[in-house]
Amino acid sequence: MTASTNRVEISLEINGRTITQSVPVRMHAADFLRQTLGLTGTHIGCEQGVCGMCTISVDDRVVKSCLLLAVQLDGARVRTVEALSDGDRLSLLQEAFKRHHALQCGFCTPGFLAVAKSLEAWGRVLTRAEIRDEISGVLCRCTGYEGIVRAIEDYLGAVHGMSAQTEVPA
Amino acid sequence: MNFQVTAGVDMPADTDRAIIGRSVPRKEDDRLLRGGGLFADDVTLAHQLEMAVARCPFPHARILRVDTTAAEALPGVVQVLDGRRVAELSEPLTVLRPVPGAPSLPYYALARDRATHEGQPVVSVVAVTRAIAEDALELIEIEYEPIPHVTDMTATLEPDAPVLHPDVLESNLMASNVDRAGEPEAQRDAAHAVLADRFVVNRVAPLPMETRGIVVSWRSGARALDVRSSTQVPHLVRKQLAESLRLDESSIRVVASDVGGAYGLKLGAFPEDILACLHAMLLERPVKWIEDRMEYFRASTHGREAFHDMMIAADKDGRITSIMNEYTTDIGGWNSPFGSSQLSSVTFTGPYRVADAQVKRNVVLTNKTPVGAYRGYGQPEVNFAREVLLDRLARRLNKSPLEMRRLNMLRPEDLPWTTPSRAIYDNGDYLRTLEMAATAVDYERHWAASRKPRGDGRIVGIGLSSFVERTGYASARFLANRGSQFGAHESVTLRVNRSGGVDLYTGVSTFGQGSETAFAQICAQVLGIDYDFVRVHAGDTGASPLNTGAFASRTLIAAAGALKEAAEAIRDKVLVIAAMALEAETDALEIRDMAVCLKADQGRSISFKDIFNRAITGQGIPEGIAPGLEATAHFEPRSASFSFGTAAAVVAVDPATGDFEIERFVMVHDCGVPVNPLLVEGQVRGALVQGLGAALDEELRYDPETGQLMNGSMMDYFAPMASDVPPIELLHTEVPSDVTPFGVRGVGEVGTIPPAAALTNAVCDALVDFGVEISQMPLTPERIWRAIRAGAAS
Ligand code: FES
Ligand code: FES
Repeated sequence: MTASTNRVEISLEINGRTITQSVPVRMHAADFLRQTLGLTGTHIGCEQGVCGMCTISVDDRVVKSCLLLAVQLDGARVRTVEALSDGDRLSLLQEAFKRHHALQCGFCTPGFLAVAKSLEAWGRVLTRAEIRDEISGVLCRCTGYEGIVRAIEDYLGAVHGMSAQTEVPA
Repeated sequence: MNFQVTAGVDMPADTDRAIIGRSVPRKEDDRLLRGGGLFADDVTLAHQLEMAVARCPFPHARILRVDTTAAEALPGVVQVLDGRRVAELSEPLTVLRPVPGAPSLPYYALARDRATHEGQPVVSVVAVTRAIAEDALELIEIEYEPIPHVTDMTATLEPDAPVLHPDVLESNLMASNVDRAGEPEAQRDAAHAVLADRFVVNRVAPLPMETRGIVVSWRSGARALDVRSSTQVPHLVRKQLAESLRLDESSIRVVASDVGGAYGLKLGAFPEDILACLHAMLLERPVKWIEDRMEYFRASTHGREAFHDMMIAADKDGRITSIMNEYTTDIGGWNSPFGSSQLSSVTFTGPYRVADAQVKRNVVLTNKTPVGAYRGYGQPEVNFAREVLLDRLARRLNKSPLEMRRLNMLRPEDLPWTTPSRAIYDNGDYLRTLEMAATAVDYERHWAASRKPRGDGRIVGIGLSSFVERTGYASARFLANRGSQFGAHESVTLRVNRSGGVDLYTGVSTFGQGSETAFAQICAQVLGIDYDFVRVHAGDTGASPLNTGAFASRTLIAAAGALKEAAEAIRDKVLVIAAMALEAETDALEIRDMAVCLKADQGRSISFKDIFNRAITGQGIPEGIAPGLEATAHFEPRSASFSFGTAAAVVAVDPATGDFEIERFVMVHDCGVPVNPLLVEGQVRGALVQGLGAALDEELRYDPETGQLMNGSMMDYFAPMASDVPPIELLHTEVPSDVTPFGVRGVGEVGTIPPAAALTNAVCDALVDFGVEISQMPLTPERIWRAIRAGAAS
């Protein structure tokens, strides 16, 4: 019979909420988030692990959710873009994106936010070249990346209490 | 602030009231930053089915037999359509911007007997899930007979090439058009120096991160087709759907909420849109189709592919006396809604004073994915040919390319200028952008120095590239003469609400260009209302007045006028109501802080909210004044406006390998008065990086033997990543356009135009002692290395 009748039950913590859900074994994690949980902020652009539109945080690691099966989320702690803001208030990171015009169509934005958030763990402000390397797993066809790099630099500066050097194009 | 305004710029002073010209935060951002955007695939309707499409795997094939029995028997499959059935149920797709002089090539949403490109839809399936629909595709038996194909643009014009549409055409030449002025041949024959070459422009993918998509439902009792589509032209999609589906437009509502990038690709109805609608109508169940990335590469539209045979003639001082350009664009297997690039003909003489010139456009068919609009639409292509040839000619004449441009550039006093193809450039200062770019990279000193390798063995080269960009259309009459199915205007409806705000309705959908923000700024400024109190409702044909849509960098120059007129109409009525309430004459009133007050006594005032409520209820308004407070305006600008500028690239080339580094990329650009400088910078940078991608790496390649796309996946097609982008410096000048409201010029596409020529010229400049000449994009190290070898051999 078709695989879609093959289902497995998984439990996970998603954006602070613990859920148990039965999922088709062949469903990937991005579809699971979007279709089963209604978390449509995570996007899909290639289902091939290249574009990065589906990037989320799983157990504090940045992953491309189109390359994971939903069943692999069993027991995991998952964060998506929907968990970033504080109620109606944008987080510091989101504010930095807005201030620096780091988004146009916004389709790539959830992916970049997930990567940017993970860079906090470096404990310092990355150089622009480092930021560019780190975000290269997510594509943006609209902005040319400059606003994204500036926003992340600014944000890391705020988080780590250092002012980022600005206005040097890189 | 993000935006660097640099010397030479006349920015208007920010008064505390002025909101036009300020980098206010975008209206669009909050929802998008919170994962609250509403893209096509974010909409899921109750009882929805999903569609998948079987596509021809060959570039050219007869379809001998289609057997869908096994697919139909698969549990979960609800309906299968083939080409025969679709031809009964619908009309062929229509074209929005036909190629002048070309026969229409009507085609149905599904191929019947013959498919003319890889990826053309042949059978469509709807099932309870996309996965089952795709499983069903595997069970469909389609017997193809591959027939001779042609994918090469030169070969397609050979007498032995298989003719793609033999019932209407004798060859694969779809149309030719000539524009000319003066005596270009005589001038050429009399010239001191004449150079000509063929410039080859790569086929590229526009590549929005959100693919195409549609969610459609039909209520037959109500005759209501409700369409959610990822499109930049909802009203035009509605028109096309009505035509193909044999419905009245009144039965169709098209909504584009958030669109994840468009760039010209999402400019009209595609076969899959018709198919999803047909299924939904037949089944009376909602149907969703979201294009997957493999489909995207083969079945949407591609951009650019062309070659330009360009000739420039000059006198001994370097004055250009004649330009002749015959170019050929590939339209692929069918005429897409917008067709291949047409603007090379408009801007082929660039920012130069050339009176004797001719341009000829040939449009050819090949067995490849159709070509449609892509940001720039012919302007990057012709700019590459002209600017590279101009540098070559300068070197031939022992002149600096800077000097050559200086000598030939149109001066402010030459403008307005009617080009040989009868476009009219509005006012501008082209030379200033050239001088600013040259100064920024210290061009004069570089030119005079020798091209010796640096310590790291690399040779530095600098290339210039000057350009104009047509933004908007000349007029509705101009479009009518070319058979275009749309106008040159924009429209808007403003309607006040009881909360004291204004609802702004526009048919322009939101795909990243920031129109919600810019429109709200203009409305706020004219009406005197807070920016935060303007809510923009975009892209819904059920709510917005009929319009044209967002393409051709035309939205703002037309919409600004409509916004101004509508906001003035609201303002006038606000003052009339306030005059009655305050027992004063309207001249004695002024608008301040969302209220109307007496100029002489600001303490006596009435709030907008009060006035709006009076108007909405009709209670407390002057006698003889109709209740309600809303205004719709349509506006067509006097003519197109031309943005302009100059780019300069500094590269360091390794003469042994052809590898090169872009050390600086400077772009000086004028888009008139920027409504929001932050948005302008974003548009320029984004387009520039698309232009760099096409100049450096991007190329859709077809196997000449099999006729198949060789790199049609995200793994194989290299769009620029963050780490690929070189340093970019933007400089702006600001000459307000004298043909548009507020002096704005379009800005959406300009960045795509100069990069290829600037970089090519820089590499050729570095390698001038090696005799390197490059006439083909993309500019890969391999191509440079080959040119070095060719130069050494000759
Ligand atoms: S959708 Fe996951 S990487 Fe593209
Ligand atoms: S903002 Fe459109 S793809 Fe990044």
